Amino acid sequence: MHVERWQQVPAGTRDLLPHETARVRAVIDRVLDRMRRWGYREVTTPTLEYLDVLVRGEGAAAGRRLFKLVDRDGELLALRPEMTTPVARLVATRLRGAPLPLRLAYAGPVFRWREAGSGRLREFPQAGGELLGAGTLEADAEIVTVAVEVLQATGVGQFSVSLGHVGFLRGLLAGLGLAEPALDEVRALLYQKDFVELRRLLEVHGAPPARVRAVLALPTLQGSGAIDEARRLADTPELLAVVEDLAALERMLRAYGVWDAVTLDLGIIRDFDYYTGIVFEGHTTALGVPLLGGGRYDRLLERFGVPLPATGFAVRVERVLSADEEPADAWAPDAVVAFENGSREAALACARTLRERGLVVAVEVQGRLWEEVARDAEARGAERAFLVRGETVLVRERGGRQHVMPLAALRDEETGGRLR
Amino acid sequence: MSCVTIAIPSGRLQEDAVRTLEAAGYLAPGAWRETRRLILPGADGTVRCLIAKPADLLTYVEHGAADLGIAGKDVLLERAGDVYELVDLGFGRCRGVLAFPEDSAREWERKHAVRIATKYPRVTERYFWSRGRAVDVITMHGTVELAPQVGLADGIMDLVMTGRTLAENHLVEVAELFQATARLVVNRVSLRSRADAVAAAVDRLRGAAGQHAPAPR
Repeated sequence: MHVERWQQVPAGTRDLLPHETARVRAVIDRVLDRMRRWGYREVTTPTLEYLDVLVRGEGAAAGRRLFKLVDRDGELLALRPEMTTPVARLVATRLRGAPLPLRLAYAGPVFRWREAGSGRLREFPQAGGELLGAGTLEADAEIVTVAVEVLQATGVGQFSVSLGHVGFLRGLLAGLGLAEPALDEVRALLYQKDFVELRRLLEVHGAPPARVRAVLALPTLQGSGAIDEARRLADTPELLAVVEDLAALERMLRAYGVWDAVTLDLGIIRDFDYYTGIVFEGHTTALGVPLLGGGRYDRLLERFGVPLPATGFAVRVERVLSADEEPADAWAPDAVVAFENGSREAALACARTLRERGLVVAVEVQGRLWEEVARDAEARGAERAFLVRGETVLVRERGGRQHVMPLAALRDEETGGRLR
Repeated sequence: MSCVTIAIPSGRLQEDAVRTLEAAGYLAPGAWRETRRLILPGADGTVRCLIAKPADLLTYVEHGAADLGIAGKDVLLERAGDVYELVDLGFGRCRGVLAFPEDSAREWERKHAVRIATKYPRVTERYFWSRGRAVDVITMHGTVELAPQVGLADGIMDLVMTGRTLAENHLVEVAELFQATARLVVNRVSLRSRADAVAAAVDRLRGAAGQHAPAPR
């Protein structure tokens, strides 16, 4: 069967129908509302940025995952692949000199190039928050707590947040005694999470066996015993400092009352050229991909000329939604209003009154016969259909019962309580 | 809590993968051979197994449809997936080689651009580009060794186990691109959200991999 382009949307993008849009909007609202209560104010940045901004923030390698375009002046633009870099640009320019710390939130679509057929979206909604200008563990504890509360607010079931620290991995790598080209290879293998090749490479280079074991133990260095195990592995001041930071964070997160939802996990591998401290991911048993990711990134802002410590996270809104059952579309208008010739003004006034009471009211715009309007209203699940004619209103209740009432009664007291 | 799902590849690695699962006590001996089902409950109720085409297996694990999977390193090299690669299971040993017809095997390095037929387009491109050579890659899905004989390609990049297929088709190996064995891969979230069950399965499979006798070829 031949399908024309105009019948499709580009690979990795999707239309959201009314009930789907409502779900996305509801999650974003809950995320932003929760952050607002922690003092995070929403900002909006353009969907398009200069390529230079994004590459400055994320490194040249990020260019591969960008959707780029050239404007008429020959400027290279790109669709933002995430929101942290645009927010960093904003903080370094328009918000330069604002009182610190800054608590900012955002929500909107981001775009990443993905292979067609990979089942991954190229456009998806992200919502998140950044805490800028505070380099303390206290700030890290706050951002992790907000992340936990945000997941709670979305209503996603059985979630947890895994908390790690890039300093641990960095410290272990520093202790391997490898020179730069080999170390580069080690980093690449860690990104690929290829622990088989990693073991081989470390053995070939004659890295200290205890260190090799520590690196290879990373993927499962998690859970209640992880901190003790990490302390046992920590044989340099740097590693010990990381372990003590994590122990201190645990105490803070207990004080915040969210530790039950957090698991210590030193095997989290997120971009360790970008992150400088804690890293965390949120997930649920119902989904094989993370719901949320974040961490401390103290070196991003200096790339924009404003050296500021920062920590933050972003939620994958569509993943939160796909982790739950999709409810059936239960939406229905509360009332449908039709009118006979000459009664337009009365009918519209009556519809306005009902809307002001918070009801969803659709006005008949096709000039159909009353029977047809009433049948259609019933089929759409409306509570009532009204036919305004002169000074009276014919009311068809859901289920077919019909009665007549004075128009004045409808406008005034009577129905306010009865409809819903 | 639902059980851990393990994906095993159909084809080349299937027999050894099934034997490993049997040795680990996850599958009753012979259970798979008696059925055509694609998904089987494990012998002890803690796992279930599904069978997938090697090319699809990583997709199952990446999306979390399977928590663990057994994949050839050749597939992992060709299609880097967002999964943890934790154990070298040791079986399914083979090599990825570049091969040319006997009569042109000595000339290929002098040619400006070679056409290579392969099931591994990315690995092949990476190999040539990393040596500063141009290459035209022709992606195929089977019987790659046919391509040079009918003038479709100058040479091939393919897996070899014994080298017999190459010899029968008058092809000569000129370079080895990689060595591959079966690997145990794990979904990145499963490793955390069902940490204990997944870690237990990884340990059992690691232990079982060395035990069973290799499948006869």
